[in-house]
Amino acid sequence: MSPEILRLIGQATLDTLSMVAVAAGIGTLLGLPLGVFLATSKRGELFAAPALNAALGVLVNATRSTPFIILVVAIIPFTRLIAGTSIGTTAAIVPLTVASVPFIARLIEGAVREVDQGLVEAARAMGATPLQIVRKVLVPEALPAIVLGLTLAIVSLIGFSAMVGAVGGGGLGDLGIRYGYQRFMPEVMATVVAVLIVLVQFVQSFGDRLARRLNKRLRQG
Amino acid sequence: MNAPVKPDALGIGARPFAVPDPIIRFEQVGKTYAGRSRQQAVAALSGIDLTVPAGAIVGVIGRSGAGKSTLIRLVNGLERATAGRILIEGEDVTALNEAGWRRRRREIGMIFQHFNLLSSRTVFDNVALPLEIAGTPKATIASKVEKLLALVGLADKSGRYPAELSGGQKQRVGIARALATDPKLLLCDEATSALDPETTQSILALLRQVNRELGITILLITHEIPVIKEICDRVAVIEGGRIVEEGETFAVFTNPQHPTTARFVEAVTGVEVPAHLADRIRPEARPGSEIVLRITFTGENATAPVISRLSSVVGVDVNILAGRIDAIAGKPFGSLLVSVPSRIPESEAVLGALRNLGLKAEVIGHVS
Repeated sequence: MSPEILRLIGQATLDTLSMVAVAAGIGTLLGLPLGVFLATSKRGELFAAPALNAALGVLVNATRSTPFIILVVAIIPFTRLIAGTSIGTTAAIVPLTVASVPFIARLIEGAVREVDQGLVEAARAMGATPLQIVRKVLVPEALPAIVLGLTLAIVSLIGFSAMVGAVGGGGLGDLGIRYGYQRFMPEVMATVVAVLIVLVQFVQSFGDRLARRLNKRLRQG
Repeated sequence: MNAPVKPDALGIGARPFAVPDPIIRFEQVGKTYAGRSRQQAVAALSGIDLTVPAGAIVGVIGRSGAGKSTLIRLVNGLERATAGRILIEGEDVTALNEAGWRRRRREIGMIFQHFNLLSSRTVFDNVALPLEIAGTPKATIASKVEKLLALVGLADKSGRYPAELSGGQKQRVGIARALATDPKLLLCDEATSALDPETTQSILALLRQVNRELGITILLITHEIPVIKEICDRVAVIEGGRIVEEGETFAVFTNPQHPTTARFVEAVTGVEVPAHLADRIRPEARPGSEIVLRITFTGENATAPVISRLSSVVGVDVNILAGRIDAIAGKPFGSLLVSVPSRIPESEAVLGALRNLGLKAEVIGHVS
């Protein structure tokens, strides 16, 4: 491979990493409170608001059931509003984030729902406010599951990011399609796939190890 | 049949000297869970009258589903009453809003059957949690937690996680945590039901110590009669959402009025007839058969040398069939099944001698 191609692969890797990092970061920032709210707002729960819960549930499901490539195109006006343009790597972050928020919210909802209700009752019996219960009980107790969920979300985002080439976003997927497929350069395709595999492996094993470190439910040797 | 029986209904109120306000008073309290329709509403508790005097250990016993979990949760507002009034230290808490309840709850500790410790926090941080919630400064928290861990005998486990502790140790952490905000009242929700008998004893001893040394009033619910027998000054028996009997533990155990109570206490007072013997007991005398007597010992009499007295004074042979002497709420209590000859002079003499000793004796049948 020519140095020019290697440079392109390096740049594409950086693009992928930055798109995924920003989308996962903002996705967590918005998805965490949304997920916690979804997990605590059904009838009789801490922030009981059954109607709002149901409405948000429909919205989350709608976003999640739209295929990502359709979502990318469908929200182009919104993307232009946020990023100023609908083309390029920066613009591609917008649909990635929009897809990641409901995904992360559902994962966090699941993690928080797994927390033993007895702990919530104990905290209420201590006189904790609902916000204290979230901060001091629900999130810390759900943290190992939250970390695993975010790991899954990041791995999925790496996959999604390969599709944003459709709107001129850069990254490894775009490189693989344009050089590996359209210009018949199988060695570029193979390298792109190899880099993606390494990235996903790294993210997954880092996430697994972090979750295990945080999980104090098992006796540690 | 379901009317509450209160051997000492006038006991507390009628005392001539001033008595401090009870820490908890239930007045005709009811709790109904709303269903989808009126027909589906479920009455968990109804017409509950219960008083918990300051400094006492009061136990509520009942089978699962009797309403005792709901009852204890009414005291710290985890459940709200739908009828009647609940007074805590004289204040009507029935009308408190959530913020008012939060302040109240900081003065009421609670421990649970499954401990409910945070797995993500160390022993130290678990005990610190109620203090963090109350906004206590860090330095105060540290010294307070150290003291509490020493009290429950876990000073060396401070940095461990709950997963590394035994059940008994977890409940000790639960007790330390419940005491962190210096409550006057401790609620125990089946606190020993997940523990083995030996560990149960040690946790009960700790609760008694907390009650005596720190002067903390304890309200506990349980389905285990030994827990009541061991530490409760007063007991209420709950069935079908109603209190069917209530009084001092010793009085209730030695003279149960309600059939449910009788079934609960039989197991520990030893008043029941062993199965192998029950088969042989006949209602009528036969030639050569002996009378079976149940002698009940209460309080001071429990230590009377009754058998030797019967043989030496009356001069009859006493055959011991079954028996048990134990302590209930710290007072000795027991019962003895004996058989004595059924011939008229001897049996009359035996019954007379027992009466003179102040013992309760009843004929329960004949055995050959």
